[in-house]
Amino acid sequence: MSTAAPPQVGAAAEKPQKVGLTERARAERKLAWMLCAPAVLMMVLVTAYPIGYALWLSLQKKDLRFPDETGFAGLDNYATVLGSGLWWKVVGNTVFITVVSVIIELILGMIIALVMHRAIFGRGAVRTSVLIPYGIVTVVAAFAWFYAFDPGTGFVNDTFLSPDDKAWFGGRGSALTVIILAEVWKTTPFMALLLLAGLTTIDEGLYEAARVDGASAWQRFTRITLPLMKPAIAVALLFRTLDAFRVFDSIFVMTRGAQDTQSVSILGYDQLISRLNLGLGSAVSVLIFIMVLAIAFLFVKGFGASVPGQEDS
Amino acid sequence: MLSRVSLAAVLVALAVALSACGGSSGGGSKTLNFYIFNEPGGGPQKVAQECSKQSGGKYDIEFKFLPNQADAQREQLVRRLGAEDESVDLIGMDVIWTGEFANAGWLEPVPEDVVGPASSKVFQSVLNTAKFEDRLMVVPIWSNTQLLWYRKDKVPGGKPPATWDQMIDVAEKQNLKINIQANRYEGLVVLANAMILSAGGKIVNGPTEVALPEEPTKRALEVMRRLGTSKAAPTGIDTSNEDTARLGFETGDSIFMVNYPFVYTSAKENAPKIFKEMGAAVYPRVDADKEPKPPLGGINIGVSKFSKKKDLAFEAIRCMIKAENQVTIAKMGGLPPVREDLYDDPEVQKIYPGFADVLRESIDKAGPRPSESPAYTDLSLGIQRGVHPLTKLGAPDEAYDKLHDYVEQAVKREGLL
Amino acid sequence: MKRGTREYTIWSVGIFAIVIAALFPVFWLVMLSFKTPATVGDGRLWPKEFTLDNYDALFTGGLDKSPFLQPLINSILIALIATTIAIVLASFTAYAIARLSFPGKSLVLGGSLAIAMFPPISVVGPLFDMWRALHIYDTYIGLIIPYLTFALPLAIYTLVAFFREIPWELEQAAAVDGATPMQAFRKVIIPLAAPGMFTAAILVFIFCWNDFLFAITLTSSKEGAQTVPAALAFFTGESQFTAPTGNIAAAAVLVTIPIILFVLFFQRRIVAGLTAGAVKG
Repeated sequence: MSTAAPPQVGAAAEKPQKVGLTERARAERKLAWMLCAPAVLMMVLVTAYPIGYALWLSLQKKDLRFPDETGFAGLDNYATVLGSGLWWKVVGNTVFITVVSVIIELILGMIIALVMHRAIFGRGAVRTSVLIPYGIVTVVAAFAWFYAFDPGTGFVNDTFLSPDDKAWFGGRGSALTVIILAEVWKTTPFMALLLLAGLTTIDEGLYEAARVDGASAWQRFTRITLPLMKPAIAVALLFRTLDAFRVFDSIFVMTRGAQDTQSVSILGYDQLISRLNLGLGSAVSVLIFIMVLAIAFLFVKGFGASVPGQEDS
Repeated sequence: MLSRVSLAAVLVALAVALSACGGSSGGGSKTLNFYIFNEPGGGPQKVAQECSKQSGGKYDIEFKFLPNQADAQREQLVRRLGAEDESVDLIGMDVIWTGEFANAGWLEPVPEDVVGPASSKVFQSVLNTAKFEDRLMVVPIWSNTQLLWYRKDKVPGGKPPATWDQMIDVAEKQNLKINIQANRYEGLVVLANAMILSAGGKIVNGPTEVALPEEPTKRALEVMRRLGTSKAAPTGIDTSNEDTARLGFETGDSIFMVNYPFVYTSAKENAPKIFKEMGAAVYPRVDADKEPKPPLGGINIGVSKFSKKKDLAFEAIRCMIKAENQVTIAKMGGLPPVREDLYDDPEVQKIYPGFADVLRESIDKAGPRPSESPAYTDLSLGIQRGVHPLTKLGAPDEAYDKLHDYVEQAVKREGLL
Repeated sequence: MKRGTREYTIWSVGIFAIVIAALFPVFWLVMLSFKTPATVGDGRLWPKEFTLDNYDALFTGGLDKSPFLQPLINSILIALIATTIAIVLASFTAYAIARLSFPGKSLVLGGSLAIAMFPPISVVGPLFDMWRALHIYDTYIGLIIPYLTFALPLAIYTLVAFFREIPWELEQAAAVDGATPMQAFRKVIIPLAAPGMFTAAILVFIFCWNDFLFAITLTSSKEGAQTVPAALAFFTGESQFTAPTGNIAAAAVLVTIPIILFVLFFQRRIVAGLTAGAVKG
């Protein structure tokens, strides 16, 4: 509802003063910083050291199993990662999983949000049941999906979904299918919740007016709902995409990365934890971070002023 | 506003207070912290308790449990040892970690006076897993190996065939399955290593030199390929592990399975009808004229270099590996002892009725994985990538090149794996 | 307006489909939790024999020996404390960003987002070292701090989106009536912001409740701060190689129940808040 431009009291108070700020504006700033301080401090203090350390490690040659071979390596680790065919294949994997799951989640999430908002009965049941997948421990959910599809323990192979005995995790396509299914099931509620929040801010009066004007349900949806939900959609997409890009638990539990289903996070884990190659692993982490930042940047630019914080300041 | 701030302050104070209660104790000066997974049988716990009592107050062994999965255990241990945590005294080491941990400088070598008792009457194959650069770095406490489990009522002549190829023929003819472990994890390396060694080859010639002689390796790859693509391969073979292999055999659809002895007690409890017909033999051969090299597992106990009670730790170890304690562990958890003379003990014979000797023979002949290599994890990852999935393993020439490349990359510790 | 049976049918089908899709895997977990170790691999959806052994195993031994009870309590307390603190801190920040003008707004937002997006695996190693040095390893506060750090961006963003939708004029009116910014916040904004705060609280709670990586790295004992997801990794099967499927499934079912209760309890508030928010003209 950012269409109504609020009277720019703050700004107006600033303009006539060519020298410094008004008392009120100064008090406002001070208050703002004080309000932000606890959260900012909390976040920075905890992550400054780890992130800095990771950055520093990425420039080192450091393998915990060979303590005598440590030394400055400059950009060697990055060269190894970026020059590796495996890295690009895995990036492709991750992008594929991200794009497919987020698109499906957006569509399903919108439908569910509409149902939660508009259902004439059973709203409570829908809201409660939809939040349960989101509330289950991720590794356990992944493990439930794994046990459902794996030929040794699962029931899927005897149903209409899969008439013959299919080795679901034996092939890249089918394994990715199950992984994406598990991810979508788990996080669509998150999308739905954020979209619902956006839906409820839309003024009912607009729908009434449109109905009176003879607009169909679809037209009401595309001309009123969607545009006014842009901020909510932007936030939902932003968080969900950044999260999906770092997918780890489901893949780890279901295939451990086999059949070319690795994601960048699994690759990072393999280097850091399995191979104890802290230099290489940190380089992978930093690269993941950069890519995530790039995605966030793209979103902010793409959605323009709709992402909170980028507008009137 | 004020009430909100005070509420927040109260909560933070509460959290700090609670956190003070939640702090873990470092233990008194006599406590030895034993970092090991929770062995379901409870044998190690009982033995440790006994030894602590017998020490007359000199030491008290306290268990700090690690997660159940070997990977997760290693992750936690590495984090602590990498941080030079002084609270780690005793470590329950998987046999494949010896070289890695020793090279990283995390283990205190076994002192001269303990080497004797630690190695007396112990299988040579097991001792090899405990050495790094010819020094004993950890002390073996229990072992493990895979046997060939078969259906007595289905095999022709009541005895299983000697070689893998023959086994596959028999299984295919009867439309039954062979259960193995072939997921992309350590279990696959166990299989591949056993195959290559049984064919007369080996994987590495030392920490940084690739061996993989062409003929034996190609032969082993050929057998593995057949296993993966034959009619006798279960559907989920590419994600199979020890547990799914056991489950598969217990459903009755299989005629052969290679697995650790835990399947014996499991079948007795869970699938009595199958259990009646279950027989055990030594690991299959790759070629009729070459001795098989069964896989070798087990746990060794290590002392952390950063422990402040190293002497006490080694004393505790000396007690825990005593013959009667090894028998206790075997009784409570089915874990094979590391001393070969114990297999004549009637109590041990009772635990493995009819196959105690098969077990002894298997461990004696066993072919360990290249655990003396500090880069073992890279090797393991490399082998996994080179060989998985069995269902898509190429023709021997092609598969050999692929495996060789990955192993080469691994020993050089280059690139991403 | 006439509500025909056709409309009812469509809604029924739709709602039914959603509920089934959401709950089916949970149903499967429940079925798994009733299976005996012998039948866990039989590939059936409906167990051949039902057993309560898996649930029994979770509770035997009381607070001391049970592998589940103490971690459950840890999970609940840690998640509640972290959520409360997070919402309070995030509300302050979100208000400042949405309503006040000051330099560095984008920096705070962008920076917090960036921090939350760093791959967790690289962060846990150094955190482990830091926490051990500060003696807060395996303590409640040792988990609460990273939970706050990584949940705050989500909470802030959600709350900023909400706060921006609140009519600016109301705050103006309060200022005209002589209220200070603090009073305006408390008496005017908070009631309007409540639904957004509940949404954010739910998201943060579930984040803390579900976390696996930090729990497993920064805790080690249930007397300390081990939460249920971490405890799952320590469940034992019958042997070193047997996965304790039944026990894990039972534990999963049990930890989902508090979520259901939590959602049911707060769901009424959300419904009221959200619909109240939509009514304003």
